[in-house]
Amino acid sequence: MIEGLLLRTALVPIIACAGILLGLLYRGLDRVLVARMQSRVGPPVTQPFRDVKKLLLKENIVPRDAVGWIFNSVPVIALSVTVLILLYLPFIGMEPVLEGHGDLILVIYLLLIPSLALVLGGFSSGSTYATVGAQREMVTMMSYEFPLAVASVSIAWIISAANPGIAAFSLGAIAMNPAWAAVGPLGLLGLALLLLTMLAVMPGELGVAPFDVAEAETEIAGGVLVEYSGRNLAMFYLADAVKAVVLGTIVIALFLPWGIAGSLGITGMAAVAADAIFYLVKLFIVIFVGSIFIRAAIARFRITQVVKAYWGYATFVSLLGLLLISLDMLSRLL
Amino acid sequence: MLNMQIELVKQLFRRTFTNRFPSKRIPKSVSGFLRSVERGERKMNPPVPVPPGFRGRINYDKKKCIGCRLCVKVCPADAVVFLEKEKKIRYHLFRCTFCGQCVDVCPTKALQTTNEFLLADYEKD
Amino acid sequence: MRKAGDIIGQESRDTYSICVGPVHPALKEPVRLNLRVRGERIEHVDFELSQVHRGIEWMGTRRNPIQILYLSERICGICNICHTFAFCRAVESIAGIEVPPRARYIRTIVAELERIHSHILWAGVAAHELGFDSAMHYAFRAREKVLDVIENLTGNRIMKAIMMIGGVRRDMDKGQARLVMEAADFYSRCSRKLEKIFLGDPVIKSRTRDTGILTRHDCLALCSVGPTARASGVRKDVRQDEPYGAYPDVGVKAMTPDEITGETRGDVYDRIAVRLREIKQSADIIGRCVKDMPEGKIAHEDKANVLLGELRGVQGEGIGRHEAPRGEVFHYVKLVGEEAPYSWKVRAPTYNNLLSWIPMMLGAQIADIPVIAASIDPCMSCTNRAVVTGPGRRQVLGQDMLHDLSVKRTRELRRGLRP
Repeated sequence: MIEGLLLRTALVPIIACAGILLGLLYRGLDRVLVARMQSRVGPPVTQPFRDVKKLLLKENIVPRDAVGWIFNSVPVIALSVTVLILLYLPFIGMEPVLEGHGDLILVIYLLLIPSLALVLGGFSSGSTYATVGAQREMVTMMSYEFPLAVASVSIAWIISAANPGIAAFSLGAIAMNPAWAAVGPLGLLGLALLLLTMLAVMPGELGVAPFDVAEAETEIAGGVLVEYSGRNLAMFYLADAVKAVVLGTIVIALFLPWGIAGSLGITGMAAVAADAIFYLVKLFIVIFVGSIFIRAAIARFRITQVVKAYWGYATFVSLLGLLLISLDMLSRLL
Repeated sequence: MLNMQIELVKQLFRRTFTNRFPSKRIPKSVSGFLRSVERGERKMNPPVPVPPGFRGRINYDKKKCIGCRLCVKVCPADAVVFLEKEKKIRYHLFRCTFCGQCVDVCPTKALQTTNEFLLADYEKD
Repeated sequence: MRKAGDIIGQESRDTYSICVGPVHPALKEPVRLNLRVRGERIEHVDFELSQVHRGIEWMGTRRNPIQILYLSERICGICNICHTFAFCRAVESIAGIEVPPRARYIRTIVAELERIHSHILWAGVAAHELGFDSAMHYAFRAREKVLDVIENLTGNRIMKAIMMIGGVRRDMDKGQARLVMEAADFYSRCSRKLEKIFLGDPVIKSRTRDTGILTRHDCLALCSVGPTARASGVRKDVRQDEPYGAYPDVGVKAMTPDEITGETRGDVYDRIAVRLREIKQSADIIGRCVKDMPEGKIAHEDKANVLLGELRGVQGEGIGRHEAPRGEVFHYVKLVGEEAPYSWKVRAPTYNNLLSWIPMMLGAQIADIPVIAASIDPCMSCTNRAVVTGPGRRQVLGQDMLHDLSVKRTRELRRGLRP
């Protein structure tokens, strides 16, 4: 018991570093790929690392009108909570570090905190632009929460129905029992719709175009982040990068949990490595579809359109998915 | 519908349009880079070639100049200054707007446009 | 001196004021917008100009007409032919100079190339304001070709310096004619492609349809010009109403959105449509001009010193008009038989179009500010001229002040204090 605890404690900084490095690496890939799609050369993949390094060296400016302690503490909260979520997730194909101490519901609630931190930071910075940005961030947050909840709860429901007695909301259990195997053709369609919903929620959570209304460079000049600089900005930047990994991992855990080692017949350390690489590839695909391509391909929405997209279309699609899954379940019971 | 999105996927697999001048990534010091190119240590991606008749840096041939002052008269930017003593002109590159009017007006072709355009510098001379 | 709060109107509890500019990512040039906002909705709009006053007209009155040609190019980087064209027409009308036909055709070709370049640049900027950078990069790439052609034709990519009073400075040879023809073909196709990208995109359509509506009535009342007016259904185009250059031979018809989308609403979408279709129109004009190009001289007088001497001998006032990419540009010149003109007044199209921001923005959302502001294709540096500065004061000349100053000046003149 004690040894297990020690091992877990030792894993925490490793996972935190891996999450941050991976986040920055994917951020670099994001910039290169978007540049290529726009027929530009773009920065080197290492650019985000340089950006963070530079930001960390820069002075931390707190505006005169800001509420200093909130303004300075929220970036820390945002980063630490985002890293914390990673500990609850099957990161790089491993068993979650905090398995048994929290489940999917907790993760969904924890996901709110970085956004809330942004909102608080925006309101506390005393700039009109930041206030507008914070309002928009709040509205966006409230809009994507419902489809996200529907998608996650449906998965847990499928798994609990297929495996009675299992802790259905535990991410470890979800990752072990792919939901796709537990449903019929109608359910498959429903799951596909839920996956679509999750991918649509991703850009909203990450605050990238077309849902970057809270930052909206050309409209409100950076919105919530307009007054942030130096270390504080670096922490928000890192939190954003890690959040991409977190969301990608959630999508993978819920919808694409398979490993590759089993089907290739590899065992031992090689299997762990193969699964880890396969995880990275899956993560790349999810982030590419859910963030990189969407970012390049769609113009920014208005805030009213964001609400319509999430409360209207995404909610509709997720409920339709849930309905199909229920029908599937019912047809089995009959 | 979706024209741009299809175009984006196509462009992802195409060569980029950017001309990587002077090198793929911006060098630490551009002038240092240019000097090392002159010494032949590094290679420079060539700039896009300029067409004939390009209005670049203006070349002044003091020998041909007859001191007629026509160029001083037409220059919109005071880039050409007349030297009373020598009856010649002095051409200030940093003031020049490269309109080429002095070249057109010069009766002895003492002023000529060249193809040089890499003229940015920290020094005013 | 007014304070910012005074202009915005009544403060109330559920509205707040936002100040956009003079430095803001949505604005490419400095102007300050004072907005009163309820939630995301705009309730009151005002703007302040004159952040980039450069005193160009004043400089012009200390230079000879040939020097002013190049000075007028620097009024605006994007539409540098327009100002020179209008200035040349003004001076030519004073001196009674007849421009040779070949020069008129070359002028028209260069002016239309510039229109293509300006409209594509604008399309890119509009896409950027909508947060659609991919379309911006696509547009900017499409613009490269016209810049290459302009460089080949005139010797530089942006500052063309091809205009001369009484003609043009450079002739066009066979090879260049072929290049220009190719570019015209390319841009006919390119305009179609851009229309598909911009007008066919559902998100762009949802962002721009019924956004920033300028009704025909408002448009006429506020004297909007150029594509802004045409998008509201006003058939107004100097090339059509008072043809000059090679336009009488080509026959230009003002482009209105009902020819493109079937209806005229006067919103941002219509303005995009009009501008993109004008690229094709310009390409057609260029094609016609190259085909029908007459032979002959390219300038009234080759030697600049002879020309200057001729201009020194004339007296009188003249106006020059030209349809710039943004609308009608108007130059007034008065020569009094001296080296430098006595007076030179420029009225750029943005000056007319700026006021239409107010009806466009009222009731819109904050998110629409950038694209509405960009939709008239504002060019601040063209517009800003009336500023009085001095130690410790900085004022914008308003109507009252201009009136007072005029009265004062008239009295001075009567008293014979000043010549």
